[in-house]
Amino acid sequence: MKDYFKLQLVMTNRKIKEVGLNPILGCLLALILFVALSEYVFHRTEFAKYLIILVCFSFQFKLSENRRTDFLLSTFGDKSKNKIRVLENSIVCIPFLSILIYKNLFFEAIILFLCSITIALFSFRTALNFTIPTPFSKNPFEFSTGFRKTFFIFPLAYALTTIAINVDNFNLGIFSILLISITTFSYYSKPEEEYYVWVHADTTKSFLKKKIINATKNYILLTIPILISLLIFYPIKFDLIFLFLLIGILFLWSIVLAKYSAFPDEINLSEGFIIAFTLLFPPLILVVVPYLYTKSINNLKLIFNDKY
Amino acid sequence: MINIKGLSKSYNNNEVLKEINMKFSRGCVSGIVGENGAGKTTLFKCIAGLESYTGEVLSDIQPLKNHLGLLLTDPFFFSKITGKEYIRLLCNARNKRNINIDQKNIFDLPLNQYASTYSTGMKKKLAITAILLQENEYFILDEPFNGVDIQSNIVLTEIILKLKDLDKIIIISSHIFSTLSDTCDEIHLLKKGEQVKSVQKIDFKTLEQEMKEITIGNRVEKLKLK
Repeated sequence: MKDYFKLQLVMTNRKIKEVGLNPILGCLLALILFVALSEYVFHRTEFAKYLIILVCFSFQFKLSENRRTDFLLSTFGDKSKNKIRVLENSIVCIPFLSILIYKNLFFEAIILFLCSITIALFSFRTALNFTIPTPFSKNPFEFSTGFRKTFFIFPLAYALTTIAINVDNFNLGIFSILLISITTFSYYSKPEEEYYVWVHADTTKSFLKKKIINATKNYILLTIPILISLLIFYPIKFDLIFLFLLIGILFLWSIVLAKYSAFPDEINLSEGFIIAFTLLFPPLILVVVPYLYTKSINNLKLIFNDKY
Repeated sequence: MINIKGLSKSYNNNEVLKEINMKFSRGCVSGIVGENGAGKTTLFKCIAGLESYTGEVLSDIQPLKNHLGLLLTDPFFFSKITGKEYIRLLCNARNKRNINIDQKNIFDLPLNQYASTYSTGMKKKLAITAILLQENEYFILDEPFNGVDIQSNIVLTEIILKLKDLDKIIIISSHIFSTLSDTCDEIHLLKKGEQVKSVQKIDFKTLEQEMKEITIGNRVEKLKLK
């Protein structure tokens, strides 16, 4: 059991190193980010305590996944498996418990702890077996697979737009565009297997062009119900609506290009910083997109055998 | 034609392919055999352009990669992609659109289910279907028979022979010698990255016997089974 946790530590450190960070520094940054985000959530909404508990549960449910617990059971036996799972869930809930206790939410902290222990004793099938329909089936794969993983976001975003119109809160409407934007950005956060780039009978330029056009079309398709609703109810703010749409598209392009500029590795720290910096100063995107495009072209040349 | 001239591949100081020279002709099925780690998959990846190498890989249609159907030993599938979408993805990549996928589902796969829920054999059949629908000129099939049921193996053998009739170039690796002797016109033997032997159909029996003797040796006796 001790060896198991040592191995988990080694694997976690490896993942942090892959991002290009020292493991201690990585943990420290994660901690600072967690505290800052929690403070922000508590500052913004009265439902923060529920959000904290839900996020903690979502991590714990992943650890309780059927195949994972089956592996633990077959390797360590029933008793040790339960001990490992209880310990894992306890470790996961420590930061969330600390925040609740810090906010004097003792009752919620006790509930979270007890639920964490209970969840540890069960296993769940986290993957749904039925096929979720997607409008992107004709042109796989980023939006078709991404849509299925995040399908619940879209009714939420459209519901927020309806609320925004009902309570006459234009900013909430813009927030729902941002919600869809961030969700679609996540579809391009991980690189695919090299085979899926190699397989394209394209030049580097035509490959990137196709990827960008496809991403833009699909992004517009997902945001169009919000755009039309906002344009109908806030016609005088059309310039602002289109500005946010344009920014969303440009950021989507930069994420697609950042992925292929680092390919086959994951988007690394330098690209991450560039995009984060651009978020703080959006006009920079006009420089960032051509920069990442050139970098992607150079990076993909070899795989596309571009001499032809 | 695919012509490999003096192909070598090293990882740091470890040379995994040494001066490989092979010629694959149209309408000819070629087998590559060798123990695990002999360099078969690396050779395939070099031909495909998925690995860098020294030497030359020439082909009658350029670029080779755009006309090559590559079946990897263990094909990767995205989570939440259906069988049909996988085929569509690979066909779109080769600009082959408007294909009636359901009609061409010769292995009767549940194409509307997620590919990740398929068994090993079904995944392989899906990958094979996809590269066949890409209408390639060259095929590299790395262990196409592995994990596939007997019925589908029979179908697969017939498909390979049909591709041969259509004047395609087919390169196969397999650990099951009978599958190669049924389909191949020539077999190349790799050992620790070296091209040890190239044998024509007439000498397959001798090659099989030689491989048996070398592979088995006195290993079974060493066990002293009781």
